[in-house]
Amino acid sequence: MAAEPVQKVLFEHDGVFIHPRSDEDAIEQDLLSGSLRIVDKDGDIAVEFRPLEDAVDPSNMLCAGKDSSSVMAWAQCSGSQYQQLSETQHSYETEWDMVNAVSFRRKPCASRDGALNHGHERSRWAFTFCLSDLRSVTVKEEGWTFLLFELKESCTALPALHFHQGGSREFLDGLRRFALLSEATDDDTCLLVSCHNRALCQSFENLLDDNSFGLVHQKFRKDPYVTTLGGFSKVTNYIFDAFRGTEEQHQRPPEEVADLLGEVIQGLEINQQEEPGFEVITRIDLGARPQVTRAEPLSVEDWTQHQDPEGRMTRVPQLKKVIFKGGLSHAVRRDAWKFLLGYFPWNSSQDERKTLLRLKTDEYFRMKLQWKSISDEQERRNSRLRDYRSLIEKDVNRTDRTNRFYEGIDNPGLVLLNDILMTYCMYDFDLGYVQGMSDLLSPILYVMENEVDAFWCFVSFMDQMHQNFEEQMQGMKTQLIQLGALLRLLDLSFWNYLESQDSGYLYFCFRWLLIRFKRELSFQDVLRLWEVMWTGLPCHNFHLLVCCAILDSEKQKIMEENYGFNEILKHINELSMKLDVEDILQKAEGIGLQMRSCKDLPDSVSSILGFEADVRGSDPMDSGSAPAPRASPRRPDTCSDLHGHLRETTSHAVAFMS
Amino acid sequence: MTTKTSLLKVILLGDGGVGKSSIMNRYVTNKFDAHLFHTIGVEFLNKDLEVDGHQVTLQIWDTAGQERFRSLRTPFYRGSDCCLLTFSVDDNQSFLNLGNWKKEFIYYADVKEPEKFPFVILGNKLDVTERQVSAEEAQQWCKENGDYPYYETSAKDATNVAVAFQEAVRRVLAMDERTDHLIPTDTVKLHRKPRSAGTCCS
Ligand SMILES: Nc1nc2c(ncn2[C@@H]2O[C@H](COP(=O)(O)OP(=O)(O)OP(=O)(O)O)[C@@H](O)[C@H]2O)c(=O)[nH]1
Ligand SMILES: [Mg+2]
Repeated sequence: MAAEPVQKVLFEHDGVFIHPRSDEDAIEQDLLSGSLRIVDKDGDIAVEFRPLEDAVDPSNMLCAGKDSSSVMAWAQCSGSQYQQLSETQHSYETEWDMVNAVSFRRKPCASRDGALNHGHERSRWAFTFCLSDLRSVTVKEEGWTFLLFELKESCTALPALHFHQGGSREFLDGLRRFALLSEATDDDTCLLVSCHNRALCQSFENLLDDNSFGLVHQKFRKDPYVTTLGGFSKVTNYIFDAFRGTEEQHQRPPEEVADLLGEVIQGLEINQQEEPGFEVITRIDLGARPQVTRAEPLSVEDWTQHQDPEGRMTRVPQLKKVIFKGGLSHAVRRDAWKFLLGYFPWNSSQDERKTLLRLKTDEYFRMKLQWKSISDEQERRNSRLRDYRSLIEKDVNRTDRTNRFYEGIDNPGLVLLNDILMTYCMYDFDLGYVQGMSDLLSPILYVMENEVDAFWCFVSFMDQMHQNFEEQMQGMKTQLIQLGALLRLLDLSFWNYLESQDSGYLYFCFRWLLIRFKRELSFQDVLRLWEVMWTGLPCHNFHLLVCCAILDSEKQKIMEENYGFNEILKHINELSMKLDVEDILQKAEGIGLQMRSCKDLPDSVSSILGFEADVRGSDPMDSGSAPAPRASPRRPDTCSDLHGHLRETTSHAVAFMS
Repeated sequence: MTTKTSLLKVILLGDGGVGKSSIMNRYVTNKFDAHLFHTIGVEFLNKDLEVDGHQVTLQIWDTAGQERFRSLRTPFYRGSDCCLLTFSVDDNQSFLNLGNWKKEFIYYADVKEPEKFPFVILGNKLDVTERQVSAEEAQQWCKENGDYPYYETSAKDATNVAVAFQEAVRRVLAMDERTDHLIPTDTVKLHRKPRSAGTCCS
């Protein structure tokens, strides 16, 4: 009757060994190989070890429930630990399946009295415990790494796990996603475990689920600076201990604490060595932030000066720089956006564009006809189309309705918004319509004032934004993780503060990223921000630096007022419509330069910002342009001379600035 | 007793477009804005009120209804004292989905005794004439699913909105002594972490 528990495996590693030793005869047995997992059992994070080649009967596992009093000697607990709720499993639409699939509750095994069944010899060695019951993990080295677990209220020792095939570090990183692991003051091999706010453990379990985490994680792994988002919790904890002045502080000379604080404030670098738990804290100095200035928007005359007689755009890199620095005057937007978004190739002639436009117009109306010509009968049998249609209808009525282009009841702007979104569903039926897309289309349609052009420009924009809207929201996950890495570098004490308020997942930046600040700025400012971002300058992921710039302006208030989880969210939400686009752009550019000039920039950060590519090629702010006479580079007021390690690339960027 | 203020967290759930944000805004600011944006992400507003002599600060959470954003909204379910399941009387599908919303809430909010949790059901857009869900049907559902109080509301003309929230508060206060909520007024901290019923270790 033992219902197999439904659980989500968050981490799995084979080739973990127990060294069994029979107490009676002291004869060493074979090493026992097994698989170690971190699983989510109905919201509880548990660690599970199962010997290989053995269909383990869960009844033989030790289970340590939340009420740790129920911990029994391992291998003594029998009977099913799980009991299915009486809930019948109806088959709902797929989206609700997950909710249905997890309606299990664990029962403490102590209440079990089933027949004791030691089963196979091997299954004796299986064990599982809840992360919340884990007091500490001790990391030992013996040519390989082995871990010793100590539970909170158990006198029974668990067997050591030997990582003969590596993986201990990944395992500990896995734990760090759900708990803080901090070095014990008297024993740096011992990591004390304390669980995060549980709401958040689970919280982003979905958003930052395994797959994505694994991927990004792998990428960061190469970099000693950034291991995982959670990897820094340890430091956070360390630092907050120092602040708190707990007993540990008595053991630590006051100067040491002061040193620590000094380090904290200046910025820290973590060097992770072979195995976790032995991180060395050193300083990383970003240097001063260069002052940059913004320029005037590109005028119609400027734009036409960049066109040759056949209508090809010339000196494009230089043109892009001007757009980056000042944006476009409104009269240029309708033309320029088509190029910036990639709908028109920069090197196309006027005639070529005419041909292109004819083709694109045909193609658009062909797709539009597809949904227009569907009968009610057909639609009744097409639930996805029906859903898309109803979502679009609802959202079009709730998008920029105070803008003159979309206000009132029978505004043609509303019809166009609707039709383009419906046609986009035919263009990309798999994605269809997802909330947020109407926000991305609205400014484009407003500028184009033309259905076909707006559609194709929207298609180009969606190519960039697609991942944000996909089923797994991969784009959002990646960006939140990348933003975390940037913020941590920019100001570790702020980052630590966010983490201490369980806000390290940056959930409050979700709307910013999903629709590129569309709801945060006034409509006109959105136009400006977007055209600047579409230049692709001055580095990759400039929008993440925009996030950094906004947060950098708010961090003081957040920390001084000691905002908690809810208040941070509220504060950030309430910034909407209070931000000034030019301020933000200026600051973001400055942060970009600051990072570019940092000698010790972690690889992970350079790769997020695409600086690596610059080293091989050249600075994008300075690329491609024919031998543009470079004014003698006047360096902005950086502390570069103090640090004496301003990068070559920086002077390029700076050259452009002046 | 009058020196104590309770902080109660209530959460509005229901399909996109049923009027969750409109209800929240009507209740907190007493305004109805037909041009409101659809919700992206998560928002909350606070409202102070007095119910049967109890001073209460309601923290009202509003989320996006679209399925795709589930992973964003569900983390915020924890610590809720009451859940307002909302549908629109002119949208039958939103009514049919109530059960799914309830299930999603119970799972992610980690409700210990789902049978006892105070849900309140709202049938919104009472002012519209083309109804797809009758009051009887809705009452029937509430009766069968846990004897939940049912209110037909209109965020547009303010019908029953305040009453529904007051009922929600009453239900919560009646649940038990709720001593954990009764903290001196002067120390009310709205950033108080959601209680997680002892699941969190030190
Ligand atoms: N007639 C009428 N319309 C309403 C009422 N409440 C809301 N609406 C309208 O219904 C639409 C949806 O309302 P919202 O409050 O945005 O709905 P929501 O549940 O927050 O939707 P999401 O944010 O997408 O999850 C808006 O156009 C509102 O103006 C009501 O009581 N009567
Ligand atoms: Mg809403």
